[in-house]
Amino acid sequence: MRRNLILLGSSLLLLLLWQAGAFILDSQILLPKVGPVLSTLLSLAKDPPFTRNLMATVFRALESFLIIMVAATSLGVLAGRIGWFSLFLKPFVTVLKAIPVMSIILLAFIWFTSGTVPLFSAFLMGFPVMYVQIEQGVLQLDKNLEQMCDLYEFTPRMKIFHFVIPSLIPSFVTGAKTALSMVWKVVIAAEVLTVPKYGVGSRMHLAQVQLDTDKVLSWTLMAIFLTAVGDLLFDGIVFGCGKLKIRWDSRRATCNL
Amino acid sequence: MQFVEISKRYGENVIFDKFSLDIPPQSLLTVVGPSGEGKTTLLHLASALIELDAGLIIKERSEQGPVSYLFQEPRLLPKSNVFTNVELALHAHHESPAERAAIALHYLSLVDMQESLTLYPAQLSGGMRQRVAIARAFAHEANLMLLDEPFQSLDIKLRYNLIEAFGRLWNESPRTTLFVTHDPKEALLLGDAVLCLGDPKKPKLYQKIQIPRKARNIADPILLAYEAELVNALVSS
Repeated sequence: MRRNLILLGSSLLLLLLWQAGAFILDSQILLPKVGPVLSTLLSLAKDPPFTRNLMATVFRALESFLIIMVAATSLGVLAGRIGWFSLFLKPFVTVLKAIPVMSIILLAFIWFTSGTVPLFSAFLMGFPVMYVQIEQGVLQLDKNLEQMCDLYEFTPRMKIFHFVIPSLIPSFVTGAKTALSMVWKVVIAAEVLTVPKYGVGSRMHLAQVQLDTDKVLSWTLMAIFLTAVGDLLFDGIVFGCGKLKIRWDSRRATCNL
Repeated sequence: MQFVEISKRYGENVIFDKFSLDIPPQSLLTVVGPSGEGKTTLLHLASALIELDAGLIIKERSEQGPVSYLFQEPRLLPKSNVFTNVELALHAHHESPAERAAIALHYLSLVDMQESLTLYPAQLSGGMRQRVAIARAFAHEANLMLLDEPFQSLDIKLRYNLIEAFGRLWNESPRTTLFVTHDPKEALLLGDAVLCLGDPKKPKLYQKIQIPRKARNIADPILLAYEAELVNALVSS
C-alpha cells in the first residue's frame, strides 16, 4: 500500500513538472500541456492504423527479444563451460558492447530493408547484455553443489533441472529484463531513422517533421507504456513460474506418500 | 577397507608417506587430527575425488560403488524443498516414485523432519538443514559413508542431538564409515575406533572402543581416559 502511494506520488510529481514546464514555456511546439497531449493520444487510439503501428513495433521487439534469449542463453552457457569458446567470442562481444547504437542502425539501413533494421539493430544491442549475464551465471555455479550432485549420482537431466536451471534463473532474469528494455528503445530509434510503413517510431518521425509535438509526445507515451507493460508481463511470468515450481515441488512431496 | 602404503603430497607438503590403515567392514572409524594433517585428504582419497601419488586403496566388495558424503556444510539444493533434496539422491537406485518417497520419508522421520517436507533450505535453521543432509546421506544407497566435520558449525546442544540422531541412523543401516571431526568427545561417542592423524607415516593413535555405542556416556571413566590419551596425541602432533 505504502509502496503504491509512493509510486503514485512520484508519477503525479512528474506530470506536475511537465505541466509547469509547459506553462512557463507557453509554446504548443516546444512543450504542449498534458491535457492536449492526452486528448491527441485518445484521438490517435481511435484511428485503425494506431493498433497496426503499435503491433508492428511490438512484434519487432518481441521477435528480436526471443532471438536474443535463445542465442544469448545457448552461447552464454557454452562460453561459461568452454574456456576457448568464451575467448573466441570475446572480440565479437567487445565490439558489440562498444559500438554506438546509431552506427549499427545506419549500417543496417545500408544492408537491409527498413522493416528488418529495427530487428537486427535491437538484436545486436541486446545480445551482449544478456550473453554476459548468462556466462557469468554459469561461471559462478556453485562447485560444491555440483560435487554433491555427482557424489549422489544425479543424472544429467536431474542436474540440469534441479541444479543448473535454478542457479541460472537470477542471471537469466536480470539479463532478459535489461535486454528487453534496451530492445524497446533500439527498435523505436531504428524505426525513427528508417521509417518503415508501420511502427511507433515511424509515426514519431512523421509527427516531428510536421512539428506536431502533441503527436510526438503521444507516441512517446505509448512507447513508455509498451516498455512498462513488457516489464510487468515479464515479472508476472517469472513470478508465475516460481509459484508453479513451488506447487509442483509440494505435490511431489505429498502425492507419493 | 585398506589403505596400503599410500602416499600423497601437495607440493612440498607431505600429507601421507607410505601410510597404512585397515578399517573393518561395516565399522565406524572416527578420525581426529590437527588442521592440515590429512583428514579431508583421507576422505577425498577414499571417495576417489583425488588420486593417490602411490600406494593402494582396497575396498571390500560390499564397500565398492557409490559413496555417501556428508560435508562440513549441508549442501542442499536451495530451490528444492526438504523432500526433493532427499528424494533426488534415490533416483539412481530406486525407479518407483512411491518407493523413493517412502524411503525419503522414513529417513526424514528418523531425523524428525517429517513435518517440514515442503519447506525450502532458506526456511530452515542450520541444525535442520544438517539433519536433512544426514537423512540424504543415509537414504542414498551406498556402502561407504564419509563425513567431513558435519557438525562443526553447530552449537553444543544441537551437536549432541545430531550425534544421537546420527548414531540411531547408523545402527539401523550400518556401513563402513569414516567420520572426520575436531572434537575428541564426538569421536569417542560415535566411533568403533578412533584414529588420530599427525604423522605422515603412521597413525599417532589408533584406539578401539569396546563399549557399545548406545551405552556410552561422556562421563564414563574409560571414555575419559581415552579422551585424555587422544588430547595428548593431538597436542603432541
